[in-house]
Amino acid sequence: MNIKDYFRPKTLLAGALLCGLISCKSDNSNTTKGEVSFPRNKTLYMAGFQWGEPNTFNPLCDWPAFPVGGNYNLMYEPLMNFNSLNGQMEPLIAKSYQQNDAVISVILDSRAKWSDGTPLSAADVVFTYEIGKKYPAAPTAYVWTYISAVTADTVTDSTSESGKAERVSFTINKERNNPLAVLDHFQAVRIIPKHYIQKQLDNLNGDLTAFQKEKLDKDPVVSGPYTLHSYSGEKIVLKRRDDYWGKVLYQDRLPKPQFIIHPIYKANDHFSIALQQGNLDISSTFIPRIWQKEKQGVRTWYSKEPYFVPAAMTMLFVNVTKAPLNDRNFRRAMAHAINYADVKELAFSQYSPNLEPGLILPFGTEKQYYSEEDVKKYGAKHDLELAKKILKDAGYKSVFNANGELEHMLDPKGQKVPTLSIKSPAGWTDWEAMVQIAVKGMREAGIDIREGFVDASIYFNSLPTADWDLILHAPSVNATPSQPWSRFESVLSSRNWKPVGEKMNENQGRFNNPNDKNYNPKVDSLLKVIPNLSDEQKKLEAYRALNVIFMQEQPTIPIVYRPEQFYEFSIKNWDNFPNENNSYTPPQIPCFGVGIKALWEINSTAK
Amino acid sequence: MLKRYPTLYYISSRAVWYFITFLAAVTINFLLPRLGPANPVDIIMARSASGLDTKTAMEKEEAYLKGFGLVELNKDGSIVRDASGKPVQSPLIKQFFNYVKMCLKGDLGTSFLNYPKKVTEIIAGAIPWTLALQIPTIILGWIFGNILGALAAYKRGVFDGVIFPSALLANSVPFFAFGMLLVYIFALQFNLFPAIGGYAQDLMPAFSWEFLSSAAYYYVLPFFSIFLILAGGQATGMRSMCIYELGTDYIKYAKWLGMKEHKIVFYMFRNAMLPQLTGLALSIGTMVGGALITEMIFSYPGLGMSMLTAIQGNDYPLIQGITLLITVSVLIANFSVDILIGFLDPRVKAGIGSK
Amino acid sequence: MKILKNLLKSPFFVIGMGLFLGTILLALFAPLFYHIDIHSRVGAAYMNPGGKYLLGTDHMGIDMFSLLLEGLRSSLYVGFMAGIIATVIGTSLGVYAGFKGGWVDDFITMVTNLFIVIPQFVILILVSASMKEGRSLSLIAFLIGLTGWTWSARAVRAQAASLKSRDHISLAKVNGVKTVGILLLHILPYLMSYVFMVFIMQTASGILSEASISMIGLGPFDTVSLGTILNQAMRSEALTDGAWWAFIPAMILVTIISFALYLINTSMEGVFNPRLRK
Repeated sequence: MNIKDYFRPKTLLAGALLCGLISCKSDNSNTTKGEVSFPRNKTLYMAGFQWGEPNTFNPLCDWPAFPVGGNYNLMYEPLMNFNSLNGQMEPLIAKSYQQNDAVISVILDSRAKWSDGTPLSAADVVFTYEIGKKYPAAPTAYVWTYISAVTADTVTDSTSESGKAERVSFTINKERNNPLAVLDHFQAVRIIPKHYIQKQLDNLNGDLTAFQKEKLDKDPVVSGPYTLHSYSGEKIVLKRRDDYWGKVLYQDRLPKPQFIIHPIYKANDHFSIALQQGNLDISSTFIPRIWQKEKQGVRTWYSKEPYFVPAAMTMLFVNVTKAPLNDRNFRRAMAHAINYADVKELAFSQYSPNLEPGLILPFGTEKQYYSEEDVKKYGAKHDLELAKKILKDAGYKSVFNANGELEHMLDPKGQKVPTLSIKSPAGWTDWEAMVQIAVKGMREAGIDIREGFVDASIYFNSLPTADWDLILHAPSVNATPSQPWSRFESVLSSRNWKPVGEKMNENQGRFNNPNDKNYNPKVDSLLKVIPNLSDEQKKLEAYRALNVIFMQEQPTIPIVYRPEQFYEFSIKNWDNFPNENNSYTPPQIPCFGVGIKALWEINSTAK
Repeated sequence: MLKRYPTLYYISSRAVWYFITFLAAVTINFLLPRLGPANPVDIIMARSASGLDTKTAMEKEEAYLKGFGLVELNKDGSIVRDASGKPVQSPLIKQFFNYVKMCLKGDLGTSFLNYPKKVTEIIAGAIPWTLALQIPTIILGWIFGNILGALAAYKRGVFDGVIFPSALLANSVPFFAFGMLLVYIFALQFNLFPAIGGYAQDLMPAFSWEFLSSAAYYYVLPFFSIFLILAGGQATGMRSMCIYELGTDYIKYAKWLGMKEHKIVFYMFRNAMLPQLTGLALSIGTMVGGALITEMIFSYPGLGMSMLTAIQGNDYPLIQGITLLITVSVLIANFSVDILIGFLDPRVKAGIGSK
Repeated sequence: MKILKNLLKSPFFVIGMGLFLGTILLALFAPLFYHIDIHSRVGAAYMNPGGKYLLGTDHMGIDMFSLLLEGLRSSLYVGFMAGIIATVIGTSLGVYAGFKGGWVDDFITMVTNLFIVIPQFVILILVSASMKEGRSLSLIAFLIGLTGWTWSARAVRAQAASLKSRDHISLAKVNGVKTVGILLLHILPYLMSYVFMVFIMQTASGILSEASISMIGLGPFDTVSLGTILNQAMRSEALTDGAWWAFIPAMILVTIISFALYLINTSMEGVFNPRLRK
């Protein structure tokens, strides 16, 4: 026996097996035999919403898997959807809505049905909302801050088959008195089936926690156009319901994809690779330098800058209880020191229009409230020399060393200012780059500040407790009927003001302490009044006043505009996705809000 | 009495030692995830509590704390509170005994981050892929590397001069970087192999030819990213061992005796292989580390990524479950190898301790 | 010294040492010739290599060559620190266990085996992830050293055990020299060559461990090392966009350093153990 005899047969056999398997490989998409589980021309691949293994599909759980929860309409549906292109609420389960001072009511579409044939009625809507009242731990509990009662009755409706329709009325909570927020949650609350869930709850003696352990992943009772087919750690597969009641809203047509598959990737660049290879049709992730992928068939809403439609702002929240951050001049100097052009270009791959000061977007539906004159007069733009001057005039002195690097800074009393830190999650590349650019600019102006990258869990934990000097945060990201009011509310409101160390979910920088002698009551009164104004002129004045206060006080420093969602798609297998030249829906992934309409309009180009 | 059966004595003494190590490992497994300062419920609450008023948020937090067994409960099921009204957390000892009790029942707990999925469910779903990727790769790499190393040691000359530095170079490459390089060259530039996934995305796992051949195709790059480097390491190790053996007296004696060459080589191989076997058992432990990065680079299904997210999210039950699994596997593997050595190594049979 | 002469005869040693010294010289003296600037933006993101900037720029437009040099220094630092710590711990434990024998030996062996059984990488991830703030380069080096010593402990212990029965040791014992004295004066010197080899291996392993842990994002904050360069390239999708200069040079450097160290180690093995020589 020779050593050679030992391995030759073994490795030869292994090699042959491997070659055999490879040569019989199936193509990336279709097999030759035609026995494909999910034909490419009938399947839409979308990704970016599910991270990690799917855990549950129970709509009463806090963090269910895609497409349950969140703003997805594929399985469970909301009353109405908000179209950010025209500012209108569009019908779904509710046909229309009416609003007066005390009550907002909706008329339900009597054609709505569940997948087991049971009609979708007002009882389901009331049940869905009442669950939030009965169980404070339920995901819909928050709506009860804005409403005080939900009732149902019947009204005459000439357009419905039976001549009657059901109406659900929401009594606006007098204390909060915010009808805009009520409208917001018309598109945020998904209606769940009373007949099924009530029964399950009763079997468990009304124990919500026990019910939350149910996964609801086998033939769930849904009202939407798709239902759950299967799932694994690699993907979630949805199947079209051919008996979807909402066909009637689309001239009796069904959505084009028979299957929607959400692959679950484990690294960020896989979205980009899959899009370029035509294995992914739509993604909602941040992909840098998207114009380099254009020749691979990857497209965005705009074909050039800013590629995405901006709807919100990423900002630096400032902890105004700490010196020297309690000095408004210091804050304004910081705002002048940041090179916003660099942020846009390097950190955000040009995905934003040029940043203008203030909290109102200078475009879209908010443009009517934007005042160029105010911005010119009060706004802080990138101006390094002005930043230095402001600091000097306010009494700060910065000491640089021989290399031109900042050593330290002295406050007006001559004391050394402790090094400040910007908190941000480590690993979010675009956010990290933004912080680095901000730090660089501020240091050049003489402000002693450093990046403070921490683990994401620490970041989320510290955000509400103000355990930071500055923190990067993007509040109020969704395009909803209540913008720009919600953005102002999330930055300026003192309604739930609590000292540092306790939790606040808006105005985390503790601006405008109501117990302080310098408290400005105008801010909160404007915030309270705006949602109830119907006179456009009065609204404009109110917003202008708020925005001027914001620019003068600079409690937060906006850094860049960002879209509601990153919307990028591949034209390799499907075409007619909405974009700027074909804007039949706003730029939303077709599982979300009004964007779902695209599922009916896209065409397969795959063979 | 045991001394009369040296092999038995050897095996039982090893068994005792492994059991003690197992107990210590379980304790460490329990403590390690709790090293961090953040309470996992805090993390979950930070995400779910935005928009809730204080009272509602508090009730939600209690529901979680109760569900995860982190707080002391009164007889009626309500939470014990201290003077300032905050829930009293269960002492570590109590949590530990709870944990051991549940493990013995086979229940590894419920994951915090993937609530309400059970840990056993998560592991059972993902582990076949990790095993399928790692085990053949490790075994084949081991076999191939050792044979190559033995050959190099035996033949020397030009063969050795080429094989040895190449194997060493292969072993020096950080294997995750190598994986990314493979993706860049073979998947992106030349489009020969897929860059993402364990199987074609339009298939569901099944025991069909279609699925298996797709899985094999997707297997190639991840396989080679680990295999080449592993083989390199084994080859250099084996080569040193074999050269050492070749210089020993008994080999020289056998040569002078005129023993047939292939018989000498056989003995050399067998003796040099023993420490390599121990190394093989230990590399089961590195399996998860290797799996983690390979999964990240290829979006390959498996347990590694779940482990990383679990660790970053302070998901105690999942972390404990996975590390327990790793520890048990390594112990079993080592124990099996020890038994195997007990039968193969003549020194054990002769009653001479082989520490 | 005869040992040195023998070492120089081995081509592997010469090449390995040459490569390694080369990288060290590069790390130490490059700042004198090349202006390292890892903060200023010098061009567009992921600019191609060429002209003034030999290796192009990274995702923030910073000179890649500067980053590489800075990363090299950090990685070498971590490698050495981790190597020293691991060698010191491992050697002390190994020598003590091997010499003393008995239950001391059994106990230390059990502890060692415990550390071996729980994979180093897993412990590294767990401990590193639990330190959510203040992960510095030194801390990472410390952690790697603290978890990687098992291999050297085992190896040194075997050597010390075999030395135990030598005559000069018995003599020293009879003379009443304390254990520590024996260890330091009579055993360690014989092991020096072996310990040095162990140190080389631990350094190589330290550099690779740091690269691995940084690569998955659990490395040091606010520092540039070869591992963090790889991690950054991966997260900013450099390779997907064809920006090979952001990834491959760092990978090559790590490979070269490890390779050089392994070469040195093997050639030393050959010199110290005559049977391994040709």
